[in-house]
Amino acid sequence: MGIAVLGHIVPLVMALAVPGVLVSGWLGDAQQSLAASEPQSSKAVTASVAEEGYCTAELKQIVRRVAGACGLLGAAGRGCQPADASKVVSLSGDDFNKLFLPLKDRVRIIQYDMAKSELDEGGRQAVESAWADRGGASFFFVVSRASPEGTVEKNRELSEARAKAVLGHLTQRFADPDIERQVGLLWLGEEFAQLQGDFCDWKRSRTGEKCDDKDINRSAFIAWIDCAI
Amino acid sequence: MEEKEPEPGSGGVELRESDRIRSEPRDTDVVPVRRGSMPFDERPAPPPARKRGAMWPWLVALAALLGCFYAAASTQSFITWLDGQEHAISCSVLPGAEGAIGATGCRTAMLSPYSSVFRTSLWGGIPVALPALAVFAFLAAFAMYLGLKRDTNRRDTGFLLLGTLLPVGVSVAFAVISATKLGEFCSTCIGIYSASAACFILALVAHLRALPAPVGTPRPWGRWLLWFLEGVAVVGVLVGLYIASVPSERVSVTRGCGQLVKQDDEAKVLLPLGAKDGGFKAIAVLDPLCPACRAFDRRLHASELDQRLDIDVLLFPLDSKCNWMVKSSLHPGACVVSEAILCAPESTQKVLDYAFAEQERLLELGRTNEAALKADLEQRFPEVKGCVGSAAAKAKVNKSLRWAVANALPVMTPQLFVEGTRVCDEDTDLGLEYTLTQMFSRLGGSIANRN
Repeated sequence: MGIAVLGHIVPLVMALAVPGVLVSGWLGDAQQSLAASEPQSSKAVTASVAEEGYCTAELKQIVRRVAGACGLLGAAGRGCQPADASKVVSLSGDDFNKLFLPLKDRVRIIQYDMAKSELDEGGRQAVESAWADRGGASFFFVVSRASPEGTVEKNRELSEARAKAVLGHLTQRFADPDIERQVGLLWLGEEFAQLQGDFCDWKRSRTGEKCDDKDINRSAFIAWIDCAI
Repeated sequence: MEEKEPEPGSGGVELRESDRIRSEPRDTDVVPVRRGSMPFDERPAPPPARKRGAMWPWLVALAALLGCFYAAASTQSFITWLDGQEHAISCSVLPGAEGAIGATGCRTAMLSPYSSVFRTSLWGGIPVALPALAVFAFLAAFAMYLGLKRDTNRRDTGFLLLGTLLPVGVSVAFAVISATKLGEFCSTCIGIYSASAACFILALVAHLRALPAPVGTPRPWGRWLLWFLEGVAVVGVLVGLYIASVPSERVSVTRGCGQLVKQDDEAKVLLPLGAKDGGFKAIAVLDPLCPACRAFDRRLHASELDQRLDIDVLLFPLDSKCNWMVKSSLHPGACVVSEAILCAPESTQKVLDYAFAEQERLLELGRTNEAALKADLEQRFPEVKGCVGSAAAKAKVNKSLRWAVANALPVMTPQLFVEGTRVCDEDTDLGLEYTLTQMFSRLGGSIANRN
């Protein structure tokens, strides 16, 4: 009888003890691990605007100054005139243009007919395409120019109208409140930072058409700037 | 402890003729053989009879120990996840195989709402593998007892056979759930199913091979009840031990993991998933081609806690085609699917359900042929035709991503915000039901006060 009882009790005690010890040990480990890890912040990186490699301190400083002067930081985009631009960037025209060289893949050059500021179909599509290709950029620059034919005053007005044509199309097409906050207009007339013919190799709205120094300056240079300003 | 019973075949009790007729034929290895023709009194005592079918309870014990092994592996995997960290999960029918990190059938099963019970009262709930471990341990112990017992008969093995029906029944139920609800089978679970089946078959053989119960003796109801209570006690003690020792203080549940700082949605990128009047406002950050998001969606739906949430979806495709925050496309094609959803906000639920249901195929299309993915979506949802791929659709996806930037969200999916509070990542799987229940109870008061 004694052996029979032992034969019954011993396996039963084992059935309780072995899983009990195992489970207690695992729970103890989990408790320790939990205590060591809490409170846990996410290990994932935080969502942020883009910061590309070309965003050097110098470039960012200039973009900030231009953006601030042109009303992009904290106010509705109002646009800058040529005098404003040359004053705030404190750069020569060539140096100003060099700022945009790293953005070659981002920039689209919208071309206009001589003495005109209306967007053609190719221009409208290029504007929409550039806007949609925003990525993580913070500012959308529209830098418009005019070729040197005509008076300085007339060309200043013409380049302003060209920049505003881009803004008008964006506003009409996308009805996006960000447009007012993030689109900066800079019209340079014929006075500042004229483009050289080698910009004809960039993405133009009139691909395939002839392009020289005059054609490339009847344009608006548009791009998102991938810098956290 | 037990009723005293005659020991058939032991020579201690002489069977009546009527009993012999009703008894089944005996195996040759247990029937004492009369030797020669010596007078009965002069014959030497027969050798001690070997117990009939004595090995079968031991085989049942072995099968039950195998069940213990798999149930213990599942329990251990579950418990290691209680710390909220990512761990390897043992998912092999081969004992000793290394655990796996990432998507496996065992991970799907373990993170599903079917892996544990009482999930709203206890973080993670009580893993079903734990009572399974206790039941197998009891069956192993009981089978060993029968193997050791000298007078085991069919009344004993009958109880063992009945006991093995429990893991068999539960295994069948869970196999059906795996096939119909999860769509995947967990290798460790298959080990448990197999051990359950083996226990039952071997217990059946043990029962058939056991000595018949002595005729005329009453059924031992008292003994059966005692054994049953012993089994219940083993399960109860183990579960009680678990409840008493499981980590219960969780800062993540009480504090959450951050707040939304900019909840307004002027760009209309938060897509309602069928408003639930009076539900808690929630925002789910999802990638339509993210397997973890699909699993999260299923968990939330299966828990029925989605019925208490008024959920808006924020699309956050982890695809570098549109998301500058990821360097490579974790889920290729997610940008296109997100465009489709944003093109037809009224069809959000339909498109999202489709993307989750067809996720593997859509991911493959996204990886190999994005135009075909677009065509597939346009054919399935004509309302998005002409919109997917357009500048407006791309701009909308960009706005959705910028909403995440404005709120400095972690670059990951899924995420859940309830009334602006972020549910910690570690609380979105095993602890989802507990965490949300706690949040509801806390927010219930604050919302009532606010109103």
